[in-house]
Amino acid sequence: MATIDPDARINLTKASVLLVDGSQHSLDVIAQILKGFGVPTVHRYDNILEANKFLRQRTADLFVIDPSIEDGAGYDCIVELRHSGRPNATMPVILVSGHVRKADVARARDSGANFVVAKPLAPVVLLQRLLWVAKDKRPFVDCGDYIGPDRRFKFEGPPAGSEGRRAEDLKAPLGSASEPNLSQEEVDAMMKPQRVII
Amino acid sequence: MTKVRFFFPELRLKQLLEEPGGIKIADALMRADDAIEASRDAGLQAIDEKIAAIAGCEREDAADTNNKCYKLSNEIYAEAGMMRLAELSDVAHNLCELLSAGVSEGVSKRAIKVHIDAMRALRSPAASASRDLRRAVLEELHRLTARLSHH
Repeated sequence: MATIDPDARINLTKASVLLVDGSQHSLDVIAQILKGFGVPTVHRYDNILEANKFLRQRTADLFVIDPSIEDGAGYDCIVELRHSGRPNATMPVILVSGHVRKADVARARDSGANFVVAKPLAPVVLLQRLLWVAKDKRPFVDCGDYIGPDRRFKFEGPPAGSEGRRAEDLKAPLGSASEPNLSQEEVDAMMKPQRVII
Repeated sequence: MTKVRFFFPELRLKQLLEEPGGIKIADALMRADDAIEASRDAGLQAIDEKIAAIAGCEREDAADTNNKCYKLSNEIYAEAGMMRLAELSDVAHNLCELLSAGVSEGVSKRAIKVHIDAMRALRSPAASASRDLRRAVLEELHRLTARLSHH
């Protein structure tokens, strides 16, 4: 993860964050960290019922949630949000997670969250991830079961020896080039078409 | 064959961050650190209450005792770590590992008690003031848990 420039400026004075965590103290501290970043409005909930009610009626610019709340109901909350079809269904989501049981690793990956941040939370890490999520260039994927940011950070095609599961995955290896590469002039001509006088 | 739809949702957060004004990142981080420091006393009190609650769970014989202890030790792990109480956070993490690994077969009450004692010892004024003492508590904990796992 690239370090952040301490002299760079951020403006979160119009941003709002939805924060959900089962621990009251954790809620207080993360809310104060976000306020330190300049976020004026932090909607805090320590239970999923109220968080879901908020999500059905309102939206925020960022959703920060500890998914372990209520025995893992946080994961389902994100899945439900992504499948809701509401205007806030694509809002950026950061999971802040303490110790994760092995069984929950796949749930975190498949929930549709943009990023997972490990607790104990350090302000610099939260800010790095917040900036990263804002600048994330990955597309959103809707493949029925999963809706969320593309889980692949690099696209290198389906694994070797596998046909791939997506309709647009190539069915056979491309093989080596059958013709010489284009020259730079030919590439330029394609990229910058110019008027010619005949 | 899975039909996949790719799209790029508009992100208001990105636009907001780039608006003129705001604050320097260094100042934002300093304010956030100050906020953690300001909540330190409340945080320590919350941790002590959670250690006491784990001790209470450990005495109960309820079926979901492990789950309750796991949840509380997970909170201590995160909150102690945020306050840079590294050793206390480590012990709580160790307890999480133990409880999550032994969900099906049940975890030895003695192993849980050893962790509670270690957390209490680390919260004592003497251990708070001495790094060597905190290390000694951790070493003793590792020695005891290794012994218990062999029985």
